[in-house]
Amino acid sequence: MTGAALDDFRAGVRDWCREHVPKDWRPAQTGVPDEEFVAFQKEWFQELRRAGFAVPHWPREWGGGMPVPEQAVLYEELAAHDAPRLVLAFVSIHHAASTLLAAGTDAQRRRHLPAILDGEIWVQGFSEPDAGSDLAALRASARREGDTYVVNGQKCWASGAAHADWCLLLARTDPDAPKRRGISYFLMDMRTPGIDVRPTRQATGESHFCEIFLDDVAVPAANRIGAENAGWRVAQETLGAERGMTMLELAERLGGGFRRLVELCGRTGALDDPLTADRLAALEIELTGLRALCAKLVAADRPGPADASIVKLFYSELLQRITDLGTEAAGLAAHTDLRKPLSSGWESGAWPLDFLASWEWTIPGGTSEIQRTIIGERGLGLPREPREG
Amino acid sequence: MPADLSEFHDELRASASGLLAQGADWAAIAGAGWPGLEVPAAFDGADGTFAEVAVVLREIGRAAAPGPYPSVAALAIGTLDLLHPGPVRDGLLRAAVAGTAVPVVAIDAEGTEAFRLTGASGPDGARLHGSAGFVLDAPAADRVLVPALEPDGTAVVVDVDPAELTVGDRPVLDATRSLGRVAADGAAVRPESVHRFRVPDAPRRLRDRAAVAVACDSLGIAEAMLDATVAHTSVRHQFGRPVGSFQAVKHACADMLVQVTVARELVDAAVRAQADGGPDAAAASAMAKSYACTAAVEVAGKAMQLHGGMGYTWESGVHVYLKRAALNRSLFGTPAQHRARLAGRRARR
Repeated sequence: MTGAALDDFRAGVRDWCREHVPKDWRPAQTGVPDEEFVAFQKEWFQELRRAGFAVPHWPREWGGGMPVPEQAVLYEELAAHDAPRLVLAFVSIHHAASTLLAAGTDAQRRRHLPAILDGEIWVQGFSEPDAGSDLAALRASARREGDTYVVNGQKCWASGAAHADWCLLLARTDPDAPKRRGISYFLMDMRTPGIDVRPTRQATGESHFCEIFLDDVAVPAANRIGAENAGWRVAQETLGAERGMTMLELAERLGGGFRRLVELCGRTGALDDPLTADRLAALEIELTGLRALCAKLVAADRPGPADASIVKLFYSELLQRITDLGTEAAGLAAHTDLRKPLSSGWESGAWPLDFLASWEWTIPGGTSEIQRTIIGERGLGLPREPREG
Repeated sequence: MPADLSEFHDELRASASGLLAQGADWAAIAGAGWPGLEVPAAFDGADGTFAEVAVVLREIGRAAAPGPYPSVAALAIGTLDLLHPGPVRDGLLRAAVAGTAVPVVAIDAEGTEAFRLTGASGPDGARLHGSAGFVLDAPAADRVLVPALEPDGTAVVVDVDPAELTVGDRPVLDATRSLGRVAADGAAVRPESVHRFRVPDAPRRLRDRAAVAVACDSLGIAEAMLDATVAHTSVRHQFGRPVGSFQAVKHACADMLVQVTVARELVDAAVRAQADGGPDAAAASAMAKSYACTAAVEVAGKAMQLHGGMGYTWESGVHVYLKRAALNRSLFGTPAQHRARLAGRRARR
């Protein structure tokens, strides 16, 4: 696509945003009951879907097919117009979809991809109390009985599980195999009997994360993704590849957060302080580097073995630095913001809450420490740490 | 980047790395055609862009190589390109491409001192006054291009024989670099030696180019130090394990890679902006200079730490890179000065 065509596309997105982005969603989405948040997220998803903006990264046959340069422009403009984020659909349109597309059967894709477009919400059931960053240590079991697997165990940190229709579930199908070789990957209907979801209150006071207790839950064998005991590889490949696409949006969103930080410092007069100006410039430089990295990662045919980890680590720690400065610059008044807009993600402008919420990115999906180990071993080829399994 | 250009850059990188490993002197560098990489074919150059020069600058940093290539290719040729063509300028450009002249631009790398012309530029000529405290490669120069202001404030470049100037050595800790103080105390200037710029804002563009060139060098330094540290910590054993398997060491190396990766993106963007001459070139150069030069000091420092006692010895060579990285950080604007430029751009908006 030529520069001029891309400019036209940008102008079109801009017009659309001016007309469709809800004007007062930040105050309106602050402190609302969960049902209102869910309804708002689903309406906004359908609004984006009608414009062809909900799943631009999906293949054309499933309703996407937008080239990467346009996607970058789309996310840039959505961030610039401060559109609400699809926080509730994040797992369904990214993790669930990429898993189905990469490893699912035709039947599984036909069943789930259109349903996701219609608003089906997914949750990721990976982590467990004793298997967070050491995911391969997971213990939830799936025992085969005829055409069904019977699942028992406990999942935790399942974001949005209280509202989810389906779950991406990792469970151990061979307890005797080495840790990573005995795991299978399932699609689990959250309405199945035996599932108990209990929200976990987080540092921010919100309860997006949940525990999921699984007591003899019957999952049809047809809902397994990939071969039995090959779930670890499916999880690695699909989610690793996915990380790049989500970063394209997140980096642009962080740009929106940075703009709000600059506005804040302008309002308070902090821009005149040379030290603050220096810190802002340093953050702007890092943000520019991050955006370039994300664009490159998404465009790469074959990303390097640690590229996604480098981006995740750098993004999450930069998010922490930006929200940290915002918290400092916003002063005491910001500490009276006890709630943030539910649809905003990590850059709501309620700085102390955003700062707290930044740990939601340096801990999950492999902590920063785990990322550094991956980068050292896979990216630099350093000798592995002694480990079992 | 188009695939063929990317392949060409890989070839250039490999040949530069090979030649520099053999300790290439100025004759070898000129023989390889590096001074003329971005010069039009009409002046015997290779008809490329600054992107090709940047490939060589990065390899020179990676090798911590001495010699005036950065001054000649980044600054002198950049300056000559910004001047109105003419027989004198064209001749000097050809000589620089061939390597028969080593012109050096008397830009003060600390940015504090400057030159001015006085007197009418009549038949008797004007006179040049002023000084520059830190001029990269001044001791090697056989021609000095002195940026100066005419009495009415017009920026010009005066082509001066070093014999007309006072050029003094300024030995620095970084033994791979040569700096000199250049002073003019009323040196006579012939009218044909005064060159005018063909674009506005040329002095600022030159400073940006200088900053990007140093950022390329620092990126090369950081890459070399990361490679050396990975190689060392993979084989050096302590407590019965390679030290690179210890988490603290591995995580330090991971942070080095992250810094190098981000620096590479920012430097690539700044190099592209130099080659395109787009409106973002100033901001891109400030970002690259600030980030890459800071990162190189941190990466080289971490390399010294992770090489242990051996890293601190003269023989290890790590200190060579740490000194060069620290010098680079102070050349052509400190990181804080470049960040202040970025902040100033925001304040004006």
